[in-house]
Parts: sequence; structure tokens; C-alpha cells
Amino acid sequence: MKFHVETLSGKNIGIAELSGRLDAENSAELQTSFALWQKQAVFFVFDCINLDFVDSSGLGAIVACLRKALEHNGDLRLAALGPKVSMVFDLTKAKKLFLIFPDTPGAIQSFGTGGAS
Amino acid sequence: MKTLVVIREKDYEWLYPVFPGVHPLLVPVCNKPYAEFLIDFAILAGSNAIRFVSDGQLGGLEHYCENGSRWGIEISYASMLGDEDLETVIDKNRRYCSADRILCISGFVFIRYNKQHDYKKLIASLSPGEFISCSHGSLSLLGNTGNIDNSAEKPELSLVGLDSTGVYYRLSVEILKCGSSPYVLPGYSSEADCHIGRNVVMSKSTEIRKPVIIGNNVQLLAGSVVGPDSVIGSNVIIDRESTIIGSIVLDNTYIGENLDLENRIAAGNILIEPESGASLAMEDPHLLTGIKKRGGGGTVFQTFVHLFVAVLLITIMLVPFALLFPILRLQGKWHESSNTYYTSSSGKTLTLTTVAIDRSGPLSALALALSLDRFALLFRVLGGQLAIIGSQPVAATPGSRMVLERMTGYRAGVFSYAEAEEWPVNGGDTAIVELFYAAHGTPLQDVVMTFKAFFNRIHE
Repeated sequence: MKFHVETLSGKNIGIAELSGRLDAENSAELQTSFALWQKQAVFFVFDCINLDFVDSSGLGAIVACLRKALEHNGDLRLAALGPKVSMVFDLTKAKKLFLIFPDTPGAIQSFGTGGAS
Repeated sequence: MKTLVVIREKDYEWLYPVFPGVHPLLVPVCNKPYAEFLIDFAILAGSNAIRFVSDGQLGGLEHYCENGSRWGIEISYASMLGDEDLETVIDKNRRYCSADRILCISGFVFIRYNKQHDYKKLIASLSPGEFISCSHGSLSLLGNTGNIDNSAEKPELSLVGLDSTGVYYRLSVEILKCGSSPYVLPGYSSEADCHIGRNVVMSKSTEIRKPVIIGNNVQLLAGSVVGPDSVIGSNVIIDRESTIIGSIVLDNTYIGENLDLENRIAAGNILIEPESGASLAMEDPHLLTGIKKRGGGGTVFQTFVHLFVAVLLITIMLVPFALLFPILRLQGKWHESSNTYYTSSSGKTLTLTTVAIDRSGPLSALALALSLDRFALLFRVLGGQLAIIGSQPVAATPGSRMVLERMTGYRAGVFSYAEAEEWPVNGGDTAIVELFYAAHGTPLQDVVMTFKAFFNRIHE
């Protein structure tokens, strides 16, 4: 998981690149890392372009990150969901919880405009 | 007339990874195997025999269709080489094709027809040669010209090439929307666009939105919503608060709690987006998973309980049997006959000697009241071949084999659940009652039902 902070839109936006599988093995790691990332930003974009697979624990971790972001008056938006990951979000109704964008620049831009998916 | 169906494996091999474990020619289209639509059309066109020819394995199809007696048509199977053209295939099957006229269905295509129309007249009006085609196959006529009747009407007929999950999905929805008017679809239907199979358990809060087709042995739990435009296969569980809209759920699938399946195909643990063909094998068993058919043997505890009850009944019946059997036999009121029966839905057979006792005289009445005609069968429970209570044994015939495959949970018993519930043993709904208890019963409930069946016979 790579993380950097983007400041182009005038806000500090944490960009996390998720890749490979997000399942029971590494979902705890995401939550731990997210707690650290929250020290640098309150708004986040998870770039999922290289994320191949999410199971329910991975999904739970992403939802937990959203909840933590909202608790700190921030937000978490998702970008570039692949078809397989998107199917899991559809199936579990998790899509209704997030603003999802086709690409990361669009997601970053949305924080400036408050745009929706 | 005869029908020759020529399908090359390369045309249907895309289905192997999509629906693993199902022969592509048996892939269900609105809960009806694809091959059955071809058979139906061949019959409507006036054929009395069908031959399936393919360069792929036809074992699964042969196992399902057998000799076609279920449809009153003769079905045979033949092999071909992948690079053989249609003429070569026909030449290789020239003995079969020696009939007056041959309807040749070539390619992995779905034939859009309407059972209300007369295709026999259409076929009679056509000259030999290809009369309808699409990019994936064709229908043609071989043989002599006969007495061609050009005045015949041209009923609706078209072909759809089955080449992707998108086409499969759209075709299923199209058939679903047409309802039972053009096609024969499985299940009970008191309304045109709602077909429901046997042993479907629905919660009071389940919502069904038409059009919908639901297969056999389905459980729709509290708050679930099914439809519109949805096909639910057999042996499916839709868990609480889940919504199925515009989707196809294939046989043996569990849909977990609080899920939203919209415009998708679910097959076991595989979720498919039909238009893109993207598929995902779910690894969470509580989201989406396959349901394994329960083995015919039941659980160890159930077997033990059945064994115990059998021993108890043998003990009760032993003395009356020893006294009454010789007398009734001497009086000629004790008739034995042997027949082969299926003992489980997997197709295991067993030759049983069944007893019929003449209903005349007090001794016969006593023997029947004590179920002495079932005495010998109790020893089959000790051998693990029969259940103490289950379904009424189905005689082993090619026709009943086809029916049996759909009776998930069938297990022949000494007594039947229908007897316990006092359903007419030969009534049409008997199988529903028996399969309901087979699916939902518990070993202890089996004990209660066995004695209920036993005492019901005393009161007969």
C-alpha cells in the first residue's frame, strides 16, 4: 500500500494506492496504516486501479476507514474500481456508502467541488 | 421425420468455465436445460427421432436425456471430428438420415419458436435446403421434396447464436417476459409470468415481483425480494433481506444475508456480470456459495435413529408375523412380488420383495393394521439400504430416472412421509410432502413421523 498526500486542490488529500488482494490477511494492516495516515490528512482517496480482489473482511476494513474519516470530519472516496471489486461493492450494497469515481484525478477534484459519483 | 442436431464443441466451450460442472448443452435457460428446447422444437416440427452429434463429450447429455422416452421421442448420440463439415457429418450418419426428411439444426443456436404455431405445416411447405440461418448456425431440410404445400403460413421462427454470457442473459430475460405462451417452462403457473417449482418455502415477508421463475427446493427467507425479471434455479437459498432483481441464480446456490443482486448471474460461488462477462469466484461462504447436494445416506445420527426404530418395530411385529404369515399364506391372501426400486436420488437401485395382503377377513385386517406387509423391509433398514421413513419407493424405469434427478433429498423408506401425513399415496402432491420432510426433517421428527405412519395404518 503506497501513500502520499496530494495538495493540488488546496486541501491535503491522502491518496492510498491499494493493490493485489485485500482480505483477512491484510485488512488489519490497512486499518493500522489508515490510523497513521490520519495524522497527515482528513480527506482520502483510495486508488483501487490495481486492486484485484476484496473479500468481506477487506470490505469491512474499507468501511471502517470511512467511519474513522467521518469521525474526524473528513471523508474517504474511492477511485477506479475494477469490475471484480465493483461486483463485491454492488452485491454487498457498500456502493451506497461511498462516492466512487472512475479515476483518481476525478476523486481528488471532487473534494474541491463536493461532486458526487 | 427425424432431426439431426450438429453442435461443435468450439461453439459451446466458452460455457465450461462460466458454469463449471454443467454440460453446456444442459445449461438451464429459464430453469429448462437448453437441449430440451431443441427437443421441444423437433417434436413441434413433427420429428419422431433426434440425434445429437458433436465432437465434444456427450456423456452428460446422454445421462440426462437417455433414450428420450421421457419425451416420447427416440434420442441417439453420435460423434464427429471437429474439422468435419456438415455434408461429411450427414454422410457419416446416412443410415439415420435415410428417412424421408431430416431437419438439421446446425450450430449452438437457440430457436425462437411459439408452441401455439404449427411447424409441421411449415416444414411440409419447404423445399430441401437451408431455410433459416444466423451467423452461428442454421436450420435446413434434407431428403426428398415430397408434396410441398406452398400455401402454408409462415409461423414465427428465428435463431439466436449463443456465444456469450450477455446473449445467454438477454435470452433468459426475453423468455421470462414471454412467459409460458411460446415455450413450455417448468413449474406451477397460475399466472402467466410467474412459475414456481416444488417445495418452495417462502417467508411471509418475502416479496415476489413478476415476471419470475423459481425452481424446486428453494427457500426464500424473511424480507427477501425476488424479481422482477429473475430466474431462481433449484436447490437455492436466498437469505434474509436480500434482493434479487433482473438476475439469474443457477441451481445449488446460496445467496447470503442482506445482499443486493442486480443484473447478475450467480452460479454457486461464482458471480458474473453478464454483459462484460467478468466473473468473480467469491471466497466468503456467507456471501455467495455453492450448495452441495445432501448424500442419500443422511447423517450418522439419522442412520442410527432409523436403525433403532427398525429394531423396535421388528421386536413388536415379530410374534404377530410368526403367527399370521403362515396362516395368510395358506389362505392365499399373502402375495409377494419383486421389483427394482431407486433407493436414493443418486440413482442407486435395489430389488425389493413387496407384499400385498387381501383385505378380506379379520386376520388380513390385523396383519395390515400391524403393517406386517412391511416386516421384511425393516431388515433393509438394518442393512442401510432403506430409510425407516422417507419417500415411497420409486420403481426403476428410464422415465422415473429423469424425474428422480430432480427430487433432491429422495430416499426410499419403509414408511413414507405422505402416509404419516395421510396424503393419498398416489396423489400428485405426495412428492412435495415427502421432499419437504426429506429437506427439513430431523432424526427425532423421523421417529415421530414413523409412528404416525404406523398408527395411521392401524386406523385405516
